[in-house]
Amino acid sequence: MRVPVIDRGRSYAPNARFCKELNELTRNGFTGALLDRGVAPLLLVPAVLLLVVILLGPFLYMVWTSLTDLSFALPDRDGNFLGFDNYRRLVREDAIFWHSFGLTMKFVAIVVTLEFLLGFAIALLIFHFVQRRRLVLTLLLVPMMLAPVAVGLIWKLLLQGDFGMVTYYLRLVGLLDIRDAVLSNADSVLPAIMLIDAWQWTPFVTLVMLAGLLSLPREPFEAAVMDGARPLQIFRDVTLPLLRPIIALVLLLRAIDAFKEFDKIFILTGGGPGTATELLSIYVYRLNFKNWDLGYGAASAFMIYLVVLILCAVFYKAVYWREGRPRRVAP
Amino acid sequence: MSRGWRTFAIGVLIAVLVIALIPWVWMLLTSLKTRLDALADVPVWMFKPTFEHYPTVFLDKSYLPLVWNSILVASVTTALSLLFGVPAAYVFARHDFRGKEDLFFFFLTTRMAPPISVVVPMFLLFTTFGITDTPLAVILAHSTFNLSLVVWMMRGFFADIPREIDEAALMDGHSRFGMFARVLVPLAAPGLAATAVLCFILSWNEFLYAFVLVAFEGRTLTVGIPGLITPHGTLWGQVAAVAIVATLPIIVFSIFVQKHLVRGLTFGAVKG
Repeated sequence: MRVPVIDRGRSYAPNARFCKELNELTRNGFTGALLDRGVAPLLLVPAVLLLVVILLGPFLYMVWTSLTDLSFALPDRDGNFLGFDNYRRLVREDAIFWHSFGLTMKFVAIVVTLEFLLGFAIALLIFHFVQRRRLVLTLLLVPMMLAPVAVGLIWKLLLQGDFGMVTYYLRLVGLLDIRDAVLSNADSVLPAIMLIDAWQWTPFVTLVMLAGLLSLPREPFEAAVMDGARPLQIFRDVTLPLLRPIIALVLLLRAIDAFKEFDKIFILTGGGPGTATELLSIYVYRLNFKNWDLGYGAASAFMIYLVVLILCAVFYKAVYWREGRPRRVAP
Repeated sequence: MSRGWRTFAIGVLIAVLVIALIPWVWMLLTSLKTRLDALADVPVWMFKPTFEHYPTVFLDKSYLPLVWNSILVASVTTALSLLFGVPAAYVFARHDFRGKEDLFFFFLTTRMAPPISVVVPMFLLFTTFGITDTPLAVILAHSTFNLSLVVWMMRGFFADIPREIDEAALMDGHSRFGMFARVLVPLAAPGLAATAVLCFILSWNEFLYAFVLVAFEGRTLTVGIPGLITPHGTLWGQVAAVAIVATLPIIVFSIFVQKHLVRGLTFGAVKG
């Protein structure tokens, strides 16, 4: 039998609701109560309106543009309707697009894995060995609060070929050739950017995972200790399953952000050398603002939006899963 | 656990902190070095500091208006997002209507929307309005993600206030609007403050919208940074000075909001 569980002490019994409404009517007077009731959702209107005009409008315009040949650089390309030709070209014929897409996927997969493993490990260390967590966190959080542009700038300085501080020490320990520089070598530049992203965002994983660890109930752990479980067993069979929703959340949020990565690469390499670091967002930027091929650029921009939207939907489900709302119905 | 493990763990954490902080510290040092020290073959850690770069870049090269623009854009965006977002968050927290969760999802997608995929049409739209190259364009663009952040964060803070408070306020003779404005908002004030600071930080740090929407007059500090890097002879002392001014206030602010940071950055999904 399925029994509905009452949500946050709110009563859904029709009787109670009716009585409450009746109460309001008698207290505020009839029109006052009606106004009060009708007005509340109206408070949403300004917010929604702003987003519709400034974000949804341009977005729909972009979708429309992606079906045309609009270009600011070529003659006679003033927005003739093409149907899905741009998308067909993009998916079937554009090798650079698929190169960028592959790079982006590789970037997201490696960066998110790396940040998660490092961040979780650091969170566990802090959780078990540090009493004054606030101080440690304050210092640890510095990288992720910096503007990504500033992060790009900082690492550009550190990795300069002739006088960069990190370059110097890499050469000192023999990891880098004297004629070589990290950011101008096609083999080392993408791993370098991945490490820089990990430098900036690992603290985020640590912060969230630590919050997760601190919010766990004590009882399962006490029970496990009573049953004679060893620390590794406890970690595998108690800690990890309890943290699973938060792990999913962290991975998704980082994946979405990593997928949109633009600022740091723009400053560090601009997509180069060649197209070695031309992730999707950089490629779209080039199509729109270097080639001024707006129709085709819009089609490729839509691809980014699509992936982010899918990740968003998964994130939303994950949030709900965590709060257990779909499972409010007891078995 | 044993002492050995403990020492090892603390050692690792100290190493982590050093790696996390050294790059920014190096930028700070560079901003205080003479050109000779900054470009030395062997990294210079001890030197006689100079403060010449700060006045040079902010006064002589007139980067000061950029600081002002950044402050203006970030504060007005924050105010606008709070003004529109807080009432919306209240409705989400306290009222039920059809399509509520779908609308909430819409707010999430606007927060996550990749700037690169809407910035071109936004540029065209703002050109039609004649507001490109003004701070207003950036303010509106930044409001798109900050507004959603406010809605998501404040919904959680309002939901934390027990419903009995609402009823008590109504009993005391407040109208529903009075209850919202004079009772609930003050109760949610700590969360409100944290949200505001976070909005400010996000706007201050944003690059792509500002970079595309303004070219000269309305440039913010982040937009000014790429202009300082030239293929030949970048003046790193001045670059570093700008970078420090762009990041130091944010580091200070983040200390204030640390308690609510988890919540803000996970869209209210995790309460720190």
